Amino acid sequence: MTSTKLNVDGILLFEQPFARVPFENYRKVFRSTQRNVERDMKAVQNSVQDLTKQSSEGTLAPDAAVESIDAMIANVENLKKKLAELHDTAGKPTQDVIRERLQHLAAVETLPNANDPEFGRWADTRLDRWLVDWTLRTGREKTARMIARERHIETLVDIDLFADIKRIEAALESHSCTEALAWCSENKAALRKMKSTLEFDLRFQEYIELTRNFKHPEAIEYSRKYLISWQETHMDQIRQAMALLAFPPKTNTSRYKRLYDSSRWTALIQSFRRAIYALNTLPTQPLLNLSLYAGLASLRLPACHNHMTKNVDCPVCDGEGVKTVRTGSLGLGKLAQEVPFSHHANSTIVCFITGKIMDADNMPLAFPDTGFVYSREAMEEMAAKNHGVVTCPRSKSRCNFSELRRVYIS
Amino acid sequence: MDAPLKELAKLEKLTASKGKGPSISDSLDALLISLREAKHAISESAASGITPDQVIKELGQAVDSKKKEVEERQKEVYNSVSRLGKALDKKFPTPLPSYPDIFSSPASITALERTIALHLLRTGQFDTAGVFLQECALDIPAELRAQFIDLHRILQALRNQDVGPALGWVAKNQQFLLSRSSPLEFNLHRSQFIRLLLSSHPPNFMQALSYGKECLTAFTDEHQGELMRLYGCMAYLPLSKLQTSPYADLASPSLHFDLEPLFAKEYCASLGMSRQVPLRVVGDIGGGGALARIEKGRKVMRERKSEWSQVDELPIEIPLPPENRYHSIFTCPVSKEQASDVNPPMMMVCGHVVTKDSLHKLSKPTGYDADRRVKCPYCPMESNLSSAMRVYF
Repeated sequence: MTSTKLNVDGILLFEQPFARVPFENYRKVFRSTQRNVERDMKAVQNSVQDLTKQSSEGTLAPDAAVESIDAMIANVENLKKKLAELHDTAGKPTQDVIRERLQHLAAVETLPNANDPEFGRWADTRLDRWLVDWTLRTGREKTARMIARERHIETLVDIDLFADIKRIEAALESHSCTEALAWCSENKAALRKMKSTLEFDLRFQEYIELTRNFKHPEAIEYSRKYLISWQETHMDQIRQAMALLAFPPKTNTSRYKRLYDSSRWTALIQSFRRAIYALNTLPTQPLLNLSLYAGLASLRLPACHNHMTKNVDCPVCDGEGVKTVRTGSLGLGKLAQEVPFSHHANSTIVCFITGKIMDADNMPLAFPDTGFVYSREAMEEMAAKNHGVVTCPRSKSRCNFSELRRVYIS
Repeated sequence: MDAPLKELAKLEKLTASKGKGPSISDSLDALLISLREAKHAISESAASGITPDQVIKELGQAVDSKKKEVEERQKEVYNSVSRLGKALDKKFPTPLPSYPDIFSSPASITALERTIALHLLRTGQFDTAGVFLQECALDIPAELRAQFIDLHRILQALRNQDVGPALGWVAKNQQFLLSRSSPLEFNLHRSQFIRLLLSSHPPNFMQALSYGKECLTAFTDEHQGELMRLYGCMAYLPLSKLQTSPYADLASPSLHFDLEPLFAKEYCASLGMSRQVPLRVVGDIGGGGALARIEKGRKVMRERKSEWSQVDELPIEIPLPPENRYHSIFTCPVSKEQASDVNPPMMMVCGHVVTKDSLHKLSKPTGYDADRRVKCPYCPMESNLSSAMRVYF
């Protein structure tokens, strides 16, 4: 089985977040526009309605009316300025990023095959993008920024999104839910659609913090305001929350001791990460890990782990230096141990010398005494240089080209 | 990507300040005019005779209608955004899978960091590699780093049409290159020879000839045909003529450009490193359909409610391009099992190969092992079991 034609569906499987992240950013810009429009237009409408009311009651004072209209003018001018600013600094740039990314993906759809140099450059960029994703997720922000800058892919990676994640997570780490709750309210509709309970978990935590500090009246007030609205789905936890009032932070009752445990903050961080990844259709693992998993599994063979059959060109054999035989695999070969072996229904015989696949046109030939097999091409070339004599590079056995035995692989 | 791009174009048009139809900013401008007019009318109402009540009534209507206009426009934008979202949903129907805990052990993370660091070094991103190593608190032996720096120094020189450093490396690794019958040295000289021939106008044959005498004569045995062509092409100068001659290939820039990948390949091979950039190879396979296929395989298995027969082997075959087949695989045509050291491939006298187990099963159960007979399942030949020979691919 050979394949050089591009598998576009297989390629696009990885690219959903690439298109989705700027789209979600645009949605955010739109919501912000919408909020401004609603608020300011409502305000203007209210002012006019007030004036109309005064007019119908016969209390309309021209001076006050002019003043009110001046305020309305300021309001509308302000709105107009804000909308233009939003569009110029956020809306338009985000649209441009969406366009650039969609066009980047469209380019790969039209490439004829994987051997096209254009695809080579595209795949280089893709690997750079994956490296940025990996370094951002694992907190190597300097490397991420450097790759983005040096490879000119700033608009193709999501450094800002991860900067947001970092900011909100840092707040959670220092036991503040405020930033995460602000993010929740920004994405309320989407989170509801995903059935995310992150907001409840955050609210519950704030409630726990109140009881921890014995602020019981505030806690009760808080639960009325923020917890009760979740009663349909979270009644059990709400009951537990109310019962918590009876247990001091030093309690030994495990059910309530757990609630006071600081590990809940770590869980909140994880739960926040899951939510923000899901919202942007980012996978839970780095994109690089997913591609390496599939790539290594497609290549891995028992032969990769036998030093007799290792091939320096094979990434799974981990040819990062001649010393690997002694030290064992340190890079990709080490990672390959975590993935399944590849599956093959048919034989493929690769020439040890040329690395080419042998077939009817390039037959396998075996040394008659040792059984080592090489391609006809390799043997012919060797024979031509050595007056018809061939030498096996592995067993060192020698014979005439004509003595080699034909091997039939069915 | 056509559908999402089309929706995006509509959205861009809708939100542009100078779009079709009244934009939000047009509506707001109109509203401002109404407001200013109302203000003016009220201040002048004593003179004009129009009562402020009338003005306010009209203003109320104007505000309502403009508000409605703006809201409608917003609604249109909203719908356009949703349509773009739907187009994206349609373009990307499957979410990325999740493999919890893959490569997450500390040892794997170190292996991954090391792989990335080597990738950055190998692709010549030395500054980035430095920052990365620092952030990971990882160390790559200075010796290994120096080798990559050296590689890129030589490649840079080649890019600048200087074959000197490359030839210097060749001189130090003559034995290695010879054992691989590498064409590198000859190709370097060939590039230089052609460059000398084409560098001056009218052509200065002497310069090239003396270079050839000094550097190319040693290749008379190995590259006789090529050598003759190099001298032969001199009859077709200058360049414009050469390009339409039988020697056109010698005029091609790829003669020089191809030196870089060839040199990188030989250099890496001398260090026991792969000819292709390993992270690219694995990433391209994984991101070029393998993950999609694995996921599909898993889905089918789930639907059939069957487990993988072999847990540590993929349930489906992933097609690989020929250049990514690094090892021989022998699947016995009789038993469909993969050969191994315990069950190796055996060649019968006729040249057909089956695994040892299959060979024994095919043999007729009479007599001692030594003279048991086997009939080849693929040709009419019958032979002794003992005459079958183990082959090594």
